[in-house]
Amino acid sequence: MEEPRIGVYICWCGTNIAKMVDVEAVSAEVGKLPHVVLAKNYKYMCSDPGQELIVKDIHGHQLNRVVVAACSPRIHELTFRKAVEKAGINPYLFEMANIREQDSWVHTDRTEATSKAIDLVVAAIRRVQFHEPLQKRSVNVDPATLIIGGGISGMVAALEIANAGKKVYLIEKTGRLGGHVIKFDLTFPHLSSARQMIRPILQRVENHPNIDVFLNTEIRDVTGYIGNFKTTIRINETESTELRFGNIIAAVGLKPFDPSKIEEYGYGKFPDVITSMEFEEMLGTGQVLTKYGKEPRNIAIIHCVGSRNKKYHEYCSRTCCMVALKFVHQIRASLPSANIFEIYADMRAYGKGHEEFYALTTHKQIIFLMYDQQERLPVISQADRNDNCNMVIRMNEKLSGESIEVPVDMVILMVNMEAHENVKEVVHAIGVSLCGNQFFIEKHPKLDPVATTTGGVYIVGTCQGPKDIPDSVSQARAAAARILATIATGSVAVEVTTASTNEKLCCGCQTCVKVCPYSAISYNEEKRSSEVNEVLCKGCGTCGSACPAGAITSKHFTDRQILAEIEGIMSMSFKGV
Amino acid sequence: MSYRPTIVAFLCNWCAYTGADLAGTSRLRYAPNIRIIRVMCSGRIEPTFILKAFQQGADGVLICGCHPGDCHYQEGNYKCLRRFKLIQKYVDQMGIEKDRLQLEWISASEGRQFAELVNNMTKTLLILGPSKIKSSLEVEHLKQ
Ligand code: FES
Repeated sequence: MEEPRIGVYICWCGTNIAKMVDVEAVSAEVGKLPHVVLAKNYKYMCSDPGQELIVKDIHGHQLNRVVVAACSPRIHELTFRKAVEKAGINPYLFEMANIREQDSWVHTDRTEATSKAIDLVVAAIRRVQFHEPLQKRSVNVDPATLIIGGGISGMVAALEIANAGKKVYLIEKTGRLGGHVIKFDLTFPHLSSARQMIRPILQRVENHPNIDVFLNTEIRDVTGYIGNFKTTIRINETESTELRFGNIIAAVGLKPFDPSKIEEYGYGKFPDVITSMEFEEMLGTGQVLTKYGKEPRNIAIIHCVGSRNKKYHEYCSRTCCMVALKFVHQIRASLPSANIFEIYADMRAYGKGHEEFYALTTHKQIIFLMYDQQERLPVISQADRNDNCNMVIRMNEKLSGESIEVPVDMVILMVNMEAHENVKEVVHAIGVSLCGNQFFIEKHPKLDPVATTTGGVYIVGTCQGPKDIPDSVSQARAAAARILATIATGSVAVEVTTASTNEKLCCGCQTCVKVCPYSAISYNEEKRSSEVNEVLCKGCGTCGSACPAGAITSKHFTDRQILAEIEGIMSMSFKGV
Repeated sequence: MSYRPTIVAFLCNWCAYTGADLAGTSRLRYAPNIRIIRVMCSGRIEPTFILKAFQQGADGVLICGCHPGDCHYQEGNYKCLRRFKLIQKYVDQMGIEKDRLQLEWISASEGRQFAELVNNMTKTLLILGPSKIKSSLEVEHLKQ
């Protein structure tokens, strides 16, 4: 092995790291270590000048290994691997130390945080000395795409890909396409018809020669990896078929919150307390009527039902305020003299044309009443016989500070959008993670919001978080573009940190064959040794830690590398007493 | 110098490490006496790593993986759990109290749980005092 010549770079991340970690001290300290040719600190290592700095030093100082201490490797490991590769070093001769998410952001004592940073950097320096160059591997991409979910996001993505001449398998759990949007009447803020918008999309999807639609179908299990996935779906009781595809889009959507959980609103008890989704359907019939078939004289619309409330969901559903305002226009059109009460917690009109729409709605002779989510929810109860209404809402009006009673004949609950509880199977099949609210987690919240940490798997629409139609459509088209790009390239680079066996050391016990979850290891009787199929291997390393003979190497996570990391961590300040 | 317990932690990349990152992104605070090593899956964690950490002077070793059923590689965490039980016994035999070796499941969204876990383990280690293996290793060293 050539003598390691290591360059070490400590990132300030503006003040994110530098405020809590003495970056000067870290670079000075680690600069003294053997094999470290230079140790520098810089404001933003991930910026172009930061990366250039590494490239220049590699050339100028004949570095053959690089360590960057900055944010989590989950964010910028690839960025820096590319940078060192640009300078002609194998990208795997690089290591990152996480001194932001796991140091400067979680600690409050500058001395402690600094010595922790030193330990982590030392560990990375020790580890990188044992790194070995790994050769990139690429696999062909099957040009077909699997899309799970036939709502607007799934359909738009399907058309985008199919129009480019590529095959799409569109899987829908229910018996029809169109998702929630097909149930809507008008959309905000232009009050254009949702049906007129979605019908042509639906027809194009159904008639497209490149799209195979599978209704009443669920995805149970997907095997393979980016470029080469497959799944088996049931066509009917007796038949099933195998599908092969290179990429996956999850567009499973979400579901409306069940308001019967909120006792105050009496949903289920009072027939004229209905959800926003139910009201949409009523609007579709062209008439606004109570359960007794009468025209309501007083209608209340309650916002944030199940949203922005720690008891139910803390997050904002983002679309309900605008939908509630849209309802005002629709009610006004059919009931010009009805009293309309918007009972809101905060009015959120963040999108394009939304604030204007809000302003326009305020001229529709409606009464805005504000309630406090944290304090007490409005309470709906049955009206007295001689009251001139069906129900009464008692609430503390926040702006006036008064407790008031609102007469109503119909109440519309603007229900929260929540994740499906039964997505677990899909999640498992395609290998994505869920956030605390059960929405799918994107690869990077800002820079890569449609990809996931599993190569070839994309998430679009509301399964990633509540959003309106334009946002869903943008994501769908973005994911489609990403997929078309990989299809056009024809091949993608895959993980090379797989396992490999050493024939000479293998004792033939076949423990590895048993523990491998991907059946990637087989026993070669002739050679009397286990063999790893690198295409099937995903690099979990379970075989490596099970092998009693030490015959298996988990590339890039070798025993030597990890042991060196442990030694490094314990070598400086971190000894306890 | 007063006793400051040291924890070496092995976290799987997909859930636990992401959860620990989330603790950072959410600016949660926890004890600074932990050093995290990333592995792809908890199934990669070998007895040697754990013993090495103790031998190097760690007062505690923490292993975190995805919740049962959530392993990115299907079942590495089950393998880890089985191994963990054995190692804990072994470590106990060596005179290392079994609370010094802990295994917890942390999902990608459990930043708070991770921060609490570190703080609780630190408390446990403060009560247990420094790991005896350090002094016994030093004795061994002197004998030689
Ligand atoms: S990937 Fe987390 S335990 Fe296997």
